[in-house]
Amino acid sequence: MTDFKINHREGDGFSVIELKGFLDAHTAPQLENAFQSLLKSEKFNILVNCRDLSYISSAGLGVFMAYIEDVRSKEGDIKLSNMSARVFNVFDLLGFPLLYEILKEEKEATDRFKVKHKS
Amino acid sequence: MSGLRKIVYILIPTVFFIIVFFLDVVRGAVTVLDDGMEYVRESFVLIAFVMLFFYFRSSRRGRTQNVVREIGKLLVTTLIVLFVVLLGAMAPSVNFVERNFTLAPANSLTVLMANITSIAMGILGSILLLTVRGLIFQKRKKGIRRNFLAYVVLMLAAVVFAIPALSIEVGFIGSVLFGLATLMTIVNSFKQNWIVFLSRREKIYGIIYSSSLAVLLIILLAVITNRGFPGNAIAYYSDPLERFVVLNMIFGSVYFGMAFLSTLFHLPTADVFERKQSELTSLHSLSRLVTQVLDFSDLVRTVTQMTREVCGAKSAWLELVKKSSTGQFPAYEIAATNNISTQDIESLLSVPESQIRSLVYESRRVLLIDSISGDRRTNHVKARKLSIGSLLSIPLISQQEFVGILHATSDEAYGFDQDDIDVMTTFADQVTIAIENSKLIAKSLERERYHQEILLAQQMQRKLLPQTVPHHAGFDVSAISEPSHEVGGDYYDFVELGDDKIGVVIGDVSGKGISAAFYMAEIKGIFQALSKSSLSPKELVLRANEAMTDSLDRKTFVSLLYAVFDLRNSTATIARAGHCPVIHVKKSTYEFVRPGGLGLGLTNDELFSRSTEETSIDIEPGDACIFYTDGATEARNRSEEEFGVDRLVNSIMSRRNADAETIRTQVWNDIKQFTGDDNFNDDITLVVVKWHGNTVGNRVSRDAHAVSGDKRR
Repeated sequence: MTDFKINHREGDGFSVIELKGFLDAHTAPQLENAFQSLLKSEKFNILVNCRDLSYISSAGLGVFMAYIEDVRSKEGDIKLSNMSARVFNVFDLLGFPLLYEILKEEKEATDRFKVKHKS
Repeated sequence: MSGLRKIVYILIPTVFFIIVFFLDVVRGAVTVLDDGMEYVRESFVLIAFVMLFFYFRSSRRGRTQNVVREIGKLLVTTLIVLFVVLLGAMAPSVNFVERNFTLAPANSLTVLMANITSIAMGILGSILLLTVRGLIFQKRKKGIRRNFLAYVVLMLAAVVFAIPALSIEVGFIGSVLFGLATLMTIVNSFKQNWIVFLSRREKIYGIIYSSSLAVLLIILLAVITNRGFPGNAIAYYSDPLERFVVLNMIFGSVYFGMAFLSTLFHLPTADVFERKQSELTSLHSLSRLVTQVLDFSDLVRTVTQMTREVCGAKSAWLELVKKSSTGQFPAYEIAATNNISTQDIESLLSVPESQIRSLVYESRRVLLIDSISGDRRTNHVKARKLSIGSLLSIPLISQQEFVGILHATSDEAYGFDQDDIDVMTTFADQVTIAIENSKLIAKSLERERYHQEILLAQQMQRKLLPQTVPHHAGFDVSAISEPSHEVGGDYYDFVELGDDKIGVVIGDVSGKGISAAFYMAEIKGIFQALSKSSLSPKELVLRANEAMTDSLDRKTFVSLLYAVFDLRNSTATIARAGHCPVIHVKKSTYEFVRPGGLGLGLTNDELFSRSTEETSIDIEPGDACIFYTDGATEARNRSEEEFGVDRLVNSIMSRRNADAETIRTQVWNDIKQFTGDDNFNDDITLVVVKWHGNTVGNRVSRDAHAVSGDKRR
């Protein structure tokens, strides 16, 4: 099976989730867990860094859909960054850029989140 | 011994006995035979009895199965012989007189009765020896064999030395041998191993038979050794025979006297022995059960039944730890009961005061409460008037995991002893294995059933896809959809919109499994309902989103693309809801047709309708439109490389002049060749529409041959 890894760290006013490898139906639950633990600790400003994400399936996209409402109702947001062209194409095909802010670089996210949450 | 030999072995002795009888009649007249004739007569008697002995031995080969019956038979024989002997003694004018210092029969009747009496006694002696031998050899040990053989040798020697006309010194040796043989009868009489294996009932019969035998044999001995008629008769008939009979009767009376005493002493333990045997039988049948029982309820019922048999309990029940147990102590469910009501069990164990379950759980040891009413842990039951005297609770542990408790009760206090605990511990191990086995079997059956359901879902999903493709002079269509090893969510369909329009839809539900299949069925329903009302592609996509949003769960969405081909105007109008674009193949180029649009279910606000676009393209004769799902471009080979859009386009372009069927087949083969294996990680769907030109008036029809799909599943 292909590998998938999640790394979590705190950025400048937001939490960063770094994805690495293949995000598909089998690995999606790992990302769900990561979102859940962030929400539990009241961290609603989330940036997902996709620099090392090599593949995302529709099940992987579904994970973002599952949490976006909760996060936004708390004045937070899920933003994405550093996508490869291939991964961006998958997001783009479904129209995700209309729903999510997709940034070129992680550092662009600074001051883009509406509310300062304690992080 | 063969039948013929048997006849010979019984016939020759009979003839010999008759010869001896006539000799005796003659002897009675002549008074004394000469020495030579005396030896011949003695030889006849000897040979006759040796043959008779072997005749009797041949009828009892191997180990005696029913010991008590053998003793009973011997008893009957002894009674008959005694009867014959007494008959002879009481016959009128039967008498011996002294002539020339030896006894001689008074008349011919005396000769006859003496012969009969002696033969009967000889036969009894033989059967006696054989029966006792059978009993002693019930346990064949070296020492036992040796001792018995020593007796036989000494006995035979004593018999040989009793042959008359031997000198006085020889007679003295005969007496010594007689004494030694008698001694050996006592040594041999201690071998009473057969008694242990008798049931209580058999032991009682054994006592009656062996005591009767001992008494009868002593009476017979007394009769023979006294100088009454029987004693004189056998002494007259044959001295060696007399010694043979006397020695064996001594042996018999000592042996059966001893047997009587041994059996008497074994009687109190007969119960224990019987129970041990039933325990062994139960354990044995359980270990067989372990491999047989498929039905769990059958198993637990048998277990409680056997528990009662194994330790002689009044009632028994089995409780197993509930799967969903949480907290410090597990919860139990009673799997089976035997001779006790659930109510009684609950009042015994399920009151706050009762610590029985927790004690067993914590110690993981057998818990024995000798006196329910006297024990501090259970005396709360006193008030409830349960007729339970003692309780035995055994933990069932499988690979360090506590699976349950097996309980047994007795109506008396102190109803279980150490033996019961030992055997129940062994029994409990067997029970644990049996239960675990049964659970494993159930689990694998469950898995098999689940697998069957998946297969069923795949079949049903396949039926949701069109079984035919539209057929028309203006275009031809070919399609294939191949699910991955799981149940997938790819969908395509066609709809005829009057004579000159045809709608093609393709979609893909995110995720896999049964839920994806359900959503796919829903899309089909929605599409078929909406497409009939001749909506524009964009309208249809918007309405489909409205219809789907409520039923889709948050993380599931559906990509959809709907195209309407117009034969009259040679156009295709396309709306896309997040699905892969259409590849429009022209004479020498190709084009991705990708109007903007969000996947169904992503959002239901005005953003969706605002972003959904509709594009119209002109199609020339010879053009083709290829619809696909991401399974086609994302199909991976063994080195995790994707087939990709470029390979897909190249594959299509190299066959762009072929008909729809050929394009579809070739592209499909290219994908398969690339992945190198039939098991795709995602569903793959391809729909090819090849355009021939404006031929208005030809109705759209369905051609059953044109659909191609892998029918394996």
